[in-house]
Amino acid sequence: MNTFYALFPLLIIVAASLLVMILEVFFKREDRSYLAYLSLLFLIASAAACVKFWNKGYSYFDGNLSLSNLSLFFCSILIVATFLVILISMKYLTLHSANYGEYYALLLFALSGMIIMVSSSDLIVIFLGLEVLSLSSYALAGLRREDEKSNEAAIKYFLLGSFASAFLVFGIAFLYGATQATAIPSIIEGLKTGSSIGTLGLVGLGLVVIGFGFKVAVVPFHMWTPDVYQGAPTPITAFFSVGPKAVGFAVLLRIFIPYFQDALESQLLFGLLWIIAAITMIAGNLIALRQTNVKRILAYSSIAHAGYLMVAILAKDILGLVFYLTAYLFMNIGAFAAVIALGKKDHEYLELEDYRGIGFRYPWIGATFAVFLISLAGFPPTGGFLAKFYVFSAAVRQGLVSLVIIGVLASLVSVFYYLRIIIYMYMREPAYEVDINYDNPSLFLALFLCLYGVLQLGIFPGNILVLIRQAVAALPFL
Amino acid sequence: MIPLSYFLILSIILFVLGAIAFFVKRDLITQFMAIEIMFSAANLAILAFAKAATSLDGQIIVFFVITVAAAEAAVGLAIILLIFRQKKTIKSEDIKLMKG
Repeated sequence: MNTFYALFPLLIIVAASLLVMILEVFFKREDRSYLAYLSLLFLIASAAACVKFWNKGYSYFDGNLSLSNLSLFFCSILIVATFLVILISMKYLTLHSANYGEYYALLLFALSGMIIMVSSSDLIVIFLGLEVLSLSSYALAGLRREDEKSNEAAIKYFLLGSFASAFLVFGIAFLYGATQATAIPSIIEGLKTGSSIGTLGLVGLGLVVIGFGFKVAVVPFHMWTPDVYQGAPTPITAFFSVGPKAVGFAVLLRIFIPYFQDALESQLLFGLLWIIAAITMIAGNLIALRQTNVKRILAYSSIAHAGYLMVAILAKDILGLVFYLTAYLFMNIGAFAAVIALGKKDHEYLELEDYRGIGFRYPWIGATFAVFLISLAGFPPTGGFLAKFYVFSAAVRQGLVSLVIIGVLASLVSVFYYLRIIIYMYMREPAYEVDINYDNPSLFLALFLCLYGVLQLGIFPGNILVLIRQAVAALPFL
Repeated sequence: MIPLSYFLILSIILFVLGAIAFFVKRDLITQFMAIEIMFSAANLAILAFAKAATSLDGQIIVFFVITVAAAEAAVGLAIILLIFRQKKTIKSEDIKLMKG
């Protein structure tokens, strides 16, 4: 079924970003929040298109852009993530004198790149989408032009990001050479049937793993993550920690879950991903222990979460992976929103020492932050617990017992640094005054939405599980 | 006619040289050039495969990659320029505000 409709969610986002770029010229600096409202409106329209096309299976450009239920689900969670990021950044931008109109345009361009990535199954189109996402991300990381840390984040992200892209292109070149194809299903088919091309295909897949490993920040390709997360403006950090990770795993899922089904030579790559998952969980959590900057702690925590997601790939558990990404979206953006809430004009409170006594001085912010941290650590009754539970139990069913033991031990370690923030908030006397800017309704709306999401996914996950099951059921390759 | 393996070996050598230069060199522009060499190596490999399989797909892919590399250069050089204006240096060892 070839229909033009398949372009709709993407077209709406692209139209919105172009419109925002044009209108930006006509607004005064203090009026720029209108651009945010406009972007939110278009995001809702795009999400409505996603909902309307559910179960329709439209595809366009010879299937290069197809809206299967899984793509639509990924599109929706990415749109929700961008929606929340815009909500948390509206006031932040004025408080930190970074109120550029390009901000929203770049954010929407990044979203369009991600939508291209999740709705295509051709590696070249995925590469182009990735570059649309990356180029906007480099600019967003360096948004606070007069801040040296922001520039440092931008250059580090740029250099390592393009380094990773080069690996990805080289990998695509090898896969193309091995199978004469760039569409993922034909590549997998070619790798499984071809006999003499084994090495070429293996090297290609390995290079693709390295390329995406940088993007989703797994150890040993994580060295840019803490610096970029610390230096970038905080709402952008929230965006980086959710968006690129979700799309990276969406692509890895499309490649590796069918490849692992019954490929003869997949043992080597399976072992490689196994090692990556194990050291990511161990190293991410251990290094996080000795951080004192909250943004860096959350950066290493996001690395560790990439490890758990890698376990889901190895367990061939699409349901668990998608559920994990959904829960991760709410709890991570929520945690960053709470960090942003503790800020005032031109100053953010980011050191652990600043969090002394916050829980009593600002009870609501403290309590919600504590819920997000508990969810990240994986305690019930939150979404983070169920997500880890689904992934680890699927892994046990697949016989990956030792990996699960490493994962559980690593998440025990993670409890220590998440709880340390909570202990600072509730059990330490404040050393100095921490005064914050309360006049920030959109941020508190975002905090509330994230809190709702985390608790809904943790206590009544039924509705969302039904949707994810529908998304997974319609997959062509299973 | 030159066999496919010659092209592949050349492209692998170029790619590895680029990757080594990226880690060894201490100058942002040179590091960026190293990345461009890696992209060119990938392009060479794609073209060689396309020639061997006599398919046009590969040549089209190369156009996409060249375009992307150009767009990346625009953003990258802008960021490097910004760094230079602020710090008056583009040595990568001078860019170390954040550690841990």
